[in-house]
Amino acid sequence: MTTFPVALAHDLPPGRVQRAFAGGRDLVLWRSASGRAMAWDNRCPHRGMRLSHGFVRGERLACLYHGWQYGTEAACAHIPAHPDLAPPATIRAAAYDLAEAGGVIWVADEGYADPPDMPLAVMPLRSLTFRCDLATLAWACGLEPAPLLFLPEHPSLVIAPNPLGPDRTEAHVLTAPLHAADRIAAIHQTEALRRLAEEAAG
Amino acid sequence: MTPTLYTHVLDAECYKVRLLAALLGLPLDCVAVDSYPGEETRSEAFLALAPAGTLPVLEAGGLVLCGAPAILTWLAATGDVTEGWMPQDPAPRAQMQMWLGFSQRLSATAGAARLEAMFDMPAPEGALAAAEACLRELELHLAIRAVDDGAWLVGDHPCIADIACFADVALCPDAGLLHDEFPFLRHWLYRLRALPGFLPMPGIHPLHELRAG
Amino acid sequence: MSREHALDDWYPVADTVLPQIRATRLLDTDLSVAWDGETASVTGPDGTAYPAEIRFDHVWTCLGPAPRPLFGIEEADQPGRRRVPCGGVRVRCSPLRAVENFLDIAHFPYVHTGILGAEPHTEVFPYEVKIREEVDEVWATKVSFYQPQAAKSAGGATDIRYEYRVPHPMAAVLYKTCPPRPSEWDVIAIFVQPVSETVCIAWPWMALFDDTSSQAELVQFQQEIFLQDRSILENQIPAGLPLDPRMEIPTRADLTSVAYRRWLKRRGALYGALTEAE
Repeated sequence: MTTFPVALAHDLPPGRVQRAFAGGRDLVLWRSASGRAMAWDNRCPHRGMRLSHGFVRGERLACLYHGWQYGTEAACAHIPAHPDLAPPATIRAAAYDLAEAGGVIWVADEGYADPPDMPLAVMPLRSLTFRCDLATLAWACGLEPAPLLFLPEHPSLVIAPNPLGPDRTEAHVLTAPLHAADRIAAIHQTEALRRLAEEAAG
Repeated sequence: MTPTLYTHVLDAECYKVRLLAALLGLPLDCVAVDSYPGEETRSEAFLALAPAGTLPVLEAGGLVLCGAPAILTWLAATGDVTEGWMPQDPAPRAQMQMWLGFSQRLSATAGAARLEAMFDMPAPEGALAAAEACLRELELHLAIRAVDDGAWLVGDHPCIADIACFADVALCPDAGLLHDEFPFLRHWLYRLRALPGFLPMPGIHPLHELRAG
Repeated sequence: MSREHALDDWYPVADTVLPQIRATRLLDTDLSVAWDGETASVTGPDGTAYPAEIRFDHVWTCLGPAPRPLFGIEEADQPGRRRVPCGGVRVRCSPLRAVENFLDIAHFPYVHTGILGAEPHTEVFPYEVKIREEVDEVWATKVSFYQPQAAKSAGGATDIRYEYRVPHPMAAVLYKTCPPRPSEWDVIAIFVQPVSETVCIAWPWMALFDDTSSQAELVQFQQEIFLQDRSILENQIPAGLPLDPRMEIPTRADLTSVAYRRWLKRRGALYGALTEAE
C-alpha cells in the first residue's frame, strides 16, 4: 500500500495546519486560503523545525520558528530575517502527492496518490486513533485488513484505516447521511469498536 | 478597585484566571510569586494568605479566593456584563459545573504530568495515561456537540469551564501528550485561541496567521 | 566516543537557591547532589564522589579525570548587580540545540512575540562573528534588534544591542543593552546540563542592574522567554545538532550558529551532535 488516508477533508478547513502520517513519514498537512491541500515532509529545511507547528498566510505556509514561508509548490518564498533576499530555489520542502476523494485526504508516500473507490454519498463522522495494529482493528470489524473496512451490523459506517505502527492505527470514519440521533449513535459505535479492539490488543 | 492576583507565569491554574480576565477586558494587579525555584508558596507569609500553599490567589477588598474554579466564577459573576461566560439557566449551569469538575481531573493528570516533564516535580503514577483518557473523553463530548453544531462545552457561548479545561489541554504537548489524534479538540482549541483578546502563554503561541504579515 | 570528550567539562547539576538533595543525571550517569546552603557534594551510583564547585549560583561538577577550567563571568561579582538563577527546565532536545537556540535572534518575532521581537521588524542586520583564538571562545558582536519589551526594566520598545559569547560547548552568555544603565551590559546566560545526548536541563541565569523589580518578577520574565523556546526545541528534527552543513540551511543571520557548529567540530565536542548526514 502506498496511498494512505491521512485525514477527513472536513477536518482541514482553509488556513489550517496539522500533522499527518503516511507509511512511516512524518508529514505536515495544510490547506491554503484558496482551499488547496498539501502534504510535505514535516521539517523546515532551515533548522529542522516541524512545519506542523507553523501557520498559514494566504497561499503560503510559514514555519513557527523563524517565519520562513513556503508557497504551494513547496519552494521557500520569503525569509523574514532577510526581507529583501530572493530565496534560492534549492530551499524547498519535500512534497507528496495528495488526492481528496470521498471526503478523505489521501497521500502517497511515493508516486501518485491512488485512492480506493469510495461509496457514494458518505458524510464525514470522525477520525480516531486505535492503540492496536490494523489487523486487530479489522478483526474487531469482523474482517481481514483492507483499504476500506465496514461494520457488518452497521453497514452505513465506512472506515478508512491508516496503519501507523504495531500499536497505533488511525480510523477515518464516514457514514451515510443520518439524522442527528443516529449520528450520535454512530459516534458511540466507534467508541465501542475501539474498546473492543484495544481490549483484544491487551 | 482592581483585584490583586498572586500568580506564576508558567502555572496553568494561574493562566486560566489571567486568560478569562483578558477575554473579559478586566484589569488585574499581578503579583509574581516565586513558586519555582524559590518555593515562595511555602513561606509563612504566603501560607497565611493561602493555607494550601497553592496558586492562584485573588484578593479583592477583604475577599480572598484560592484556586482557579472559584476565581473564574467570581470574575464572571462580577465582571461579565454579557452573562455569556456563566449560564444562569439550571441545566447549562449544572453542565458548566460538571466541566469545571472535569477541569480538576485534567489538572491532576495532564497538569501534573507537565510539571514532571518540565521541572522534575514527581507526578502520581499513571498520570500521563489518565490524562490521555481525559482527552478522549473531552474529544467524544466535542464530537457529539458538533453533531448539532455546538462549538463549546456547553451552549452556544464559551463558558468559564471552557477556560478551565483549555489551559491543561492546550499545554499537554509540554508533557509529550500531543493533540494530533484529537481533531475536535484541535478545532476547539483553535476557536478559543482565535477569540478577541486571547492571551497566549509559553507553550501556547499566538495565532500568527491572524496578524498582519 | 563523543562522551569521552564531554566528560572533562564542568556542568551545572543543581541551583543553590534552596538547600536540597537532588537525584539527577549527567552524561547518562545517575547522580545525587546535596547542597546544604554552604557546601555541596556530588555522588555517583557506585558511591564515587565527584568534585563539586559553586559558581554562578549553581553546583557544578565534572565526571572526567582531567577537568578543563570552568569559564568566568566577571560581571557575576560586580557590586550593584542582582544575580538571578531561574531554576532548571527539562527539555527533550540535544544540549547543543538548546545553546544554539540561545544564540539565535531571527526567531524573536515569532517565538517571543511582543517581548523580544514583533513583525514587521524581522530583519537581522549584519553583525560580526569570530572565534577568539586566545581564549578559544565564539563571539558575536555588533548585533542589534528591535525589541518591544527587551527587559523587565525596559519602559517600551527599543533597538537593543547584543554580544554573544560561547565559552563552553554547553553554555552561552549574552551581553545586552541595560535599559536603566546605558553604560553597562545586562548579562544573561544559559548553562546546560546534558542529561543524555537528546535530553537536557537548561539553567537560565542573569546578572542585572534593576532596582525596582522583585526577584520573582525577574525570574518569571526569563522563565517565560525560555519556556517559549522549549516547545520549539522539542520539535526540531533530528533531536541531535547536525554538524554536516548539508543537513540544514543557514543564512547570513545564522553566522553565530555556523561558527558555533564549526567550533564544536574543531574542538571535538560531539556529545549531542550528529556528524554525518542521515
